[in-house]
Amino acid sequence: MKLALISDIHGNLEALTAVLEDIENQKVDKIYCLGDVIGYGSDPCACLKLVEQNCDIKLMGNHEYVALGLISTENYNEAAKISSDWTKNQLTENDFSIISNFEMKHSWQDFLWVHASPFEPEQWHYIIAPDMAFQAFSYFDEKICFFGHSHLPQIYMEQEDNFPRMQGGHDFLPAQENRYLINVGSVGQPRDNDPRACYLIFDTEEDEVIYRRIAYDINLTQKKMSEQHIPEMLIDRLEVGR
Amino acid sequence: MPEIIVKYDNKVIERIVTEKKRVSIGRTRDNDIVLENRGVSRKHALIEFNNNAAVIIDNESLNGTFLNNRKINEEILRDDDVITIGKYSLVYHTESTDDNNDSAHFDGTMILKTKKQRQLLENDKIEKQIISKYGGSVLLGEENTDFTEYKIDRDVITIGKAKFVHVKAKGFWISGIQAKISKENNFFVLTNLGKKGKTLVNGEPISKYNLKNGDLITVGKSTYKFVEGDNK
Repeated sequence: MKLALISDIHGNLEALTAVLEDIENQKVDKIYCLGDVIGYGSDPCACLKLVEQNCDIKLMGNHEYVALGLISTENYNEAAKISSDWTKNQLTENDFSIISNFEMKHSWQDFLWVHASPFEPEQWHYIIAPDMAFQAFSYFDEKICFFGHSHLPQIYMEQEDNFPRMQGGHDFLPAQENRYLINVGSVGQPRDNDPRACYLIFDTEEDEVIYRRIAYDINLTQKKMSEQHIPEMLIDRLEVGR
Repeated sequence: MPEIIVKYDNKVIERIVTEKKRVSIGRTRDNDIVLENRGVSRKHALIEFNNNAAVIIDNESLNGTFLNNRKINEEILRDDDVITIGKYSLVYHTESTDDNNDSAHFDGTMILKTKKQRQLLENDKIEKQIISKYGGSVLLGEENTDFTEYKIDRDVITIGKAKFVHVKAKGFWISGIQAKISKENNFFVLTNLGKKGKTLVNGEPISKYNLKNGDLITVGKSTYKFVEGDNK
């Protein structure tokens, strides 16, 4: 089965549309969305609609959790707080019912999908360094866990007598005998110094992981965000991908 | 220490600093540098370090090893040399460049089995053993404590200098019951009950705090490490 894995869209409709167009050409069997469809960007509702229409599996992200009132924004920075309040106000009753049906995690055969970490998914732990991946590896039994949350395309490989090896996201062939944690990157707000939208294709028959980077109309997205008075810091970061 | 920067399609994906005498490169996981892709042999090449010289040796690989775009069998490496294997390029530096630390999180940095990493790993193993021994979360006595391990096996644990508290803390200026650890919604929560500023987590005074694995709790002069178990 050929899967497209998308995550962290964050209300960026232009990025999502460009990614879905590219996915169309890739002839995938299914599309999985790993959460954070909303938050930060100017089009939460339109993005939710597209995800609902196009994705076969939809996972809960922390921004959906915030919108549902399941965690507070107390520890968020000012920009994140303002944008999550704004986002919440945009959502219709129907949007909330879509979100409330998102799953916490999904597993199939040797693979697991989760938004943040297989370790206490609902606590949204970050995996951005080998010691964090080391802990996460002991909380799932599958061979590969795909995740998002940090917006950093990264690959961790479990090692016997050391912390997991960490590599930046790149095309590769996962070996049968290894276990991996693979971050699929972010569609709507990449943070790895590459502003292009990022998603991942995983072919379970070919055992191949391919990262796709898709250029989209960032200026248009930024203009729409400005019109909604979304904090500047969230607008500026899109063009540098940080 | 020498450094090898691994790139894929011209993007840095990994930095490797090594103190090893021999670094193997190949597709299988028993190599020091694992390159999991088409065009890379299981045991593709070796870099050997001796007396300040480094030598790249191709291991009769199917698709070859290239040094600065020239196919090689065995060659001495110089600073900034580029080894190409499949779609990967490996840039060799005689000394590691520390100025790249900022981008470490983005690019990935791995240090091959240094002392610090071994120590961290060892500590983690010890903590895991303790957790499995007690079957739950544990406080480890770090400084000025009268125990080394204390199992958190009840809903509320009191910490202070009173005679009846569960965990005795040292220090003249602390209250009888200075703090408590209680179970609340899947978290162990540390709450300051006594004098202000006498209950700290990782050096910062707290009033109420959700404990995370590895947090250092200081009450008065006593310090405990919180090790999170599976009994949440």
